[in-house]
Amino acid sequence: MIRTIVGLAIVLILMAILITVVDDYTVPSALSGVGESYTETGVEDTGSVNLVTAVVVAYRGLDTLGEVVVLFSASTAVVLILTLIPIGSGPTPPSSIVSFTAGILPSAIILFGIYIITHGHLSPGGGFPGGAVVASAFLLVMLGSNTVPGKSKFLSSIESLAGLTFGLLGFWGMFAAGQFLNNLVLPAGSPGRIISAGIIPLISLAIGAKVASELSGIFSSYRKAGGEK
Amino acid sequence: MSAEYLFYWSMAATGLGLILIGLWGVLTRKHILRIALAFTLADTGVNLILVWSGFLPGRSAPIVDSSVTQMVDPLPQALVLTSIVIGVAVAALFVVVGVLASRKSGSADIRHMKELKW
Repeated sequence: MIRTIVGLAIVLILMAILITVVDDYTVPSALSGVGESYTETGVEDTGSVNLVTAVVVAYRGLDTLGEVVVLFSASTAVVLILTLIPIGSGPTPPSSIVSFTAGILPSAIILFGIYIITHGHLSPGGGFPGGAVVASAFLLVMLGSNTVPGKSKFLSSIESLAGLTFGLLGFWGMFAAGQFLNNLVLPAGSPGRIISAGIIPLISLAIGAKVASELSGIFSSYRKAGGEK
Repeated sequence: MSAEYLFYWSMAATGLGLILIGLWGVLTRKHILRIALAFTLADTGVNLILVWSGFLPGRSAPIVDSSVTQMVDPLPQALVLTSIVIGVAVAALFVVVGVLASRKSGSADIRHMKELKW
């Protein structure tokens, strides 16, 4: 009871503050300085038509490398905890709908994920969403089977290889163009073609492989924790 | 109010609403997984507000095309892409630690988890 009252009071106070802030907010009529310069020179600078990908991979590529590190440490922590302390009670058998769907859909889902990854510099997408889509196909296969996934050297080698590729591409930019993760060590090409935008497609591939293998690793360790008693 | 501005302000209202619902859930729920769920709701609300802050009514997505003259700010969208991935990682860790704590105390109710209380 007292928890509800205090919680409601805090939420109401925050709501009052937020409404005051929004009430004073005027709709901007122009972009901020950084956004303006990204939209004006983004295509010349990076060759990527999709400016969000240009910001994520080219302008702020170092931040993306950090983000990959955060994802890596989180997935390592999950796998570590679930390997050291088995906490599950065994996988439940899938319903017939799930096991039937898991026989048909995964290949189409993986194809769609690869499409999202490879077209990251042309249309909404890129390594992170595409990798999550590919990982969802693995999740579906896992949910559709009644078994516990075994040890997979393949997943962890894909993960390491992808991370290594990202780092090496960064160092290639450093030695060839004097800037870590410089995008234009490969030619920018003509914007809008699939082979264009320097090393953005390669980095998207590396990020996609890394995200897909990391999320699959998290899912399979959840499943494994359910298998060990 | 035109349809564009209706969309604009409803996006802000949805984001604020999700933040408040998530905060309320974190403060008042007792089941550890519901707290994790409320946390991700608040996370989604923050992401929505961030995207909204770079959004200008009537402009198109930041993908350069010959037919596009004015576009929204790509920077908040790139930030939110980062934020979503970090959110997923944090949620996965949250769930694992939550399940672990509930196994340790014998219940998913946070009132039974007394290790961190004084």
